[in-house]
Amino acid sequence: MHHLRFLTCALALFIAAGTQAQPNGQIQASLVRITSTEVEPDYRAPWNSGSIGRGVGAGFVIDGQRILTNAHVVSNSRYLTVEREGDPNKYPATVEFVAHDCDLALLQVASPTFWKNMKPLGFGGIPALESTVSAYGYPIGGERMSVTTGIVSRIDFSLYTHSAIDSHLAIQISAQINPGNSGGPVMQSAKVVGVAFQGYSGDIAQGVAYMIPTPVIRRFLKDIEDGHYDRYVDLGITYTKLQNPAQRHFLGLNDDDRGVLVGTVIEAGPCGKILQKGDVLLAVDGHPIASDAFVEFEGERVQMPEVVERKFKGDTVKLDLLRNRQPMSVDITLGTVWPYFMQAHSYDVRPRYVVYGGLLFQPMSLDLLQAYRINDLRVRHYFDFFVTDQLYLQHPEVVILTNILPDPINTYLLPYRSSIVDEINGKKIGTLQDLARAFEQPVDRFVVKMVGDGPPLVLNPKEVESARERIKTRYNVLQEQNLDEQPPAKPAVAAKDNI
Amino acid sequence: MRTPVFFLVALLAFVPLAEAKKAPVSVKKLPASAQGAVQAKEVSLVRVNVTGQPYDYFRPWQKKAPFSKRALGAVLPHDRVLVTADLVANQNYVELERAESGEKTAASVVVVDYEANLALIEPTDKNFLKGLQPLELALDTVVGDRLAAWQLESTGALVVTEGIVTTIGITRYPADVADFLTYRLSIPMQYRDNSYTVPLVKNNKLAALLLRYDPRSQVLDAIPAPIIAHFLKDATGAKYQGFPSLGIAFFPTRDPQLRAYAGEESKTGGVYITSVEPGLPAAKAGLLPGDIVTAVEDHNIDQNGNYVDSLYGKLGFSNLLTAKAYVGDTIALHVLRAGKPLTLNVKLEHRGEEDYVIPPYNIDDPPSYYVLGGLIFQELTRQYLKEWGNNWEKDAPQDFVYLDKYQSELFPEGNQRVVILSQVLPANSTIGYDDFSYLVVKKVNDKEIRSLADLAEAVKTPLNGFHVIQTVDDPKQLELDATEVAAESDALQKNYGLPALQRLD
Repeated sequence: MHHLRFLTCALALFIAAGTQAQPNGQIQASLVRITSTEVEPDYRAPWNSGSIGRGVGAGFVIDGQRILTNAHVVSNSRYLTVEREGDPNKYPATVEFVAHDCDLALLQVASPTFWKNMKPLGFGGIPALESTVSAYGYPIGGERMSVTTGIVSRIDFSLYTHSAIDSHLAIQISAQINPGNSGGPVMQSAKVVGVAFQGYSGDIAQGVAYMIPTPVIRRFLKDIEDGHYDRYVDLGITYTKLQNPAQRHFLGLNDDDRGVLVGTVIEAGPCGKILQKGDVLLAVDGHPIASDAFVEFEGERVQMPEVVERKFKGDTVKLDLLRNRQPMSVDITLGTVWPYFMQAHSYDVRPRYVVYGGLLFQPMSLDLLQAYRINDLRVRHYFDFFVTDQLYLQHPEVVILTNILPDPINTYLLPYRSSIVDEINGKKIGTLQDLARAFEQPVDRFVVKMVGDGPPLVLNPKEVESARERIKTRYNVLQEQNLDEQPPAKPAVAAKDNI
Repeated sequence: MRTPVFFLVALLAFVPLAEAKKAPVSVKKLPASAQGAVQAKEVSLVRVNVTGQPYDYFRPWQKKAPFSKRALGAVLPHDRVLVTADLVANQNYVELERAESGEKTAASVVVVDYEANLALIEPTDKNFLKGLQPLELALDTVVGDRLAAWQLESTGALVVTEGIVTTIGITRYPADVADFLTYRLSIPMQYRDNSYTVPLVKNNKLAALLLRYDPRSQVLDAIPAPIIAHFLKDATGAKYQGFPSLGIAFFPTRDPQLRAYAGEESKTGGVYITSVEPGLPAAKAGLLPGDIVTAVEDHNIDQNGNYVDSLYGKLGFSNLLTAKAYVGDTIALHVLRAGKPLTLNVKLEHRGEEDYVIPPYNIDDPPSYYVLGGLIFQELTRQYLKEWGNNWEKDAPQDFVYLDKYQSELFPEGNQRVVILSQVLPANSTIGYDDFSYLVVKKVNDKEIRSLADLAEAVKTPLNGFHVIQTVDDPKQLELDATEVAAESDALQKNYGLPALQRLD
């Protein structure tokens, strides 16, 4: 991901006039260079171990002999080493915790020698707009520490591209950040104020880089205190602003610029069966919600989800709301919303699949669609509306016939490619596990009904069995199925009705 | 008829606008004695000048700027001129021009069939076409024949280019509604300003009309004489009926497992019926999904859906129901149902564009719309989706494209339209709603909305002084103050220059 790239443009040399002390102290004593050898899964040949690559990123030492870096620096890693400034040794490291939803990870290094003279960095708060910050790291893979400076340009919710679905607070800075800066500290007054993590490629925007601010880092460090990372929690609802006077009047709201309108309540989320479409949310934990969905929180005006963002799995949040003009209050026990995970990148897992009769079946996911570049309108619809149209209730996993390994027994089946499996012999297929079980039934014929008006796909188990070894050998299918390396997504336990 | 086996026709139609400056590189004139050419005086062609002005579906109350197209028409008996339908689509004004003299007369469109892409026009001055030899049809073209493309010099002289017919088959026509017989030629034709309707001629008879041409590969697709003959015969009737449509989708039965499952144990032919649209001829005759259609009349159908045509050999069986059959005909479908033979008599009908939930094309007619306090409601049509340009299937709102593509699955009972809130004109009554667009409307004032007329009716009875609009996707609901909407409507209309706040069918 962060391969060394050579810049073809000429580098201008600037000679420093005089010497100036490092305003943030000796960062060299805290900064590490991380080399990760990663294995990226191959969704198109999921029985293979995948392609091997190597990347370089940065990290820094924090309290408790731990190294903080980005999740994307160590994702899918099989072997990790860290190096310090002025030390020729490479020290093997291991991932202790990784949080893909906020792109942070903690590493451990076993060697006591490594920790000698290493100084942990302390954390600061949210730096002021326009104040100067310095970013440290190994941009474009260089071996010596690099420093760039810039100012704080904007503080807002932003998409964290590592997972592709999570948005958290992020700080935009004008310091140059390039691949290899990832995971490095951004400092102000000798304190860490962020971890550099993403930017734009030069042809989209320049001088726009993002760092993970300390509230997100602190939340990560607190979450793992119990020895397990539980992910961010979410309300699992959609809502719209309530700025139209007639609509406010219709809903029986006062003329006080408060409230947002609940649109969709995701049944598998913590608000399922508690909130309803049409509810007006008025306050979250006592903080009034403005009609543009902002709340006053810890002295800042932030978007409503920020209040929930700071909480943890199992925590409760109190919502004041208006339902059919009647005020009421509910306590929501927070948790994750599993259907969203399908739309996120996944890491450190092996792809799950079933090969039967040369037909490759795989559950729909962002990584799968990208690997196959599936443009089928129906598949894209199932992907886009999986959560909001609650399609996961019928299909907790959307099982797609992604590929066909040609053989005489399946030679006429090509038109079925990219179809979604709906039923096998009259039984609904909700997960890959369902499909694997259905194909184990002792019957004379499998009739696979796909979603939509197409013809059924018919398989003769005897023929499939006779072709089995032939197909395995011809296409070097090392293993015919992988169901268990990542347990199938299960609906969350129904939220307790605590209205 | 839909078939899951796609013919990918990657050919481009000529771009006829504003490109007339591209000069031809070389003009090869065949000697007058060559096949296809005749004396200029007798050339059976006229120029057709059309000013078209399509409606603007993003601003449905107005038309786009007018633009002109210049093309050729083939002169037929009875003082009629044949052109392609896309030439006269959304026309405001049509005139004919004698190629050799430049003399002009106004003309009118008599019959147009956008699905088969054919139109007949007639001069106002009945004597205008005097002296031009009408073209007869050559119905016997087969693969290997040489056809001559007729184009005109600016002087009116004939330019003849010869090509060879390489393939005759069934392809999808540009309206994307039906598949028809098509000739494919390999021909090095030059670009001219009259490339909209280029007649292809065999022995001085009209063999085909240009459908689309790809100058890079020099491949030309043409509307063949049998389709033209069908169109002309239909056009002589009191009311033009159009080509018949069965209302089915089918799949080949090559897979022995599928054949066995469907009860077809022998190794003969037939196609597997995957869906039958309610209310259309096949459904009325009792055809069911899962049936295997083995023959149409006395033509056996093979596993890929081909029959053996006496002229062309193997050909998609839909030709038996389009080129060779007329609305009102009754034809016999021979069917295997669970292994048992069965004959169904189907009375053929045409499926008009208005018979779809989301009409596939909507030309010449103004789009309907309803403006309520700055909220603009429209019926979803493919014409609307095509406003996103050539790449509309990727660029238009994807849930709308999905509704269009799978409409027969999603609305099996048909008999409705999809009403959308397409955009919001900012006004006092719509403050806070500015960002809403492309929403499917479910209910208005508690009434189900299945057409724009339903909506117009529903807004007559606000609920306690509010218009309550429910949408399928978020925000799910929005409300307007009915009194404010009424009070503001004149100002809104003036402010945005709307000629009217509504247009219903």
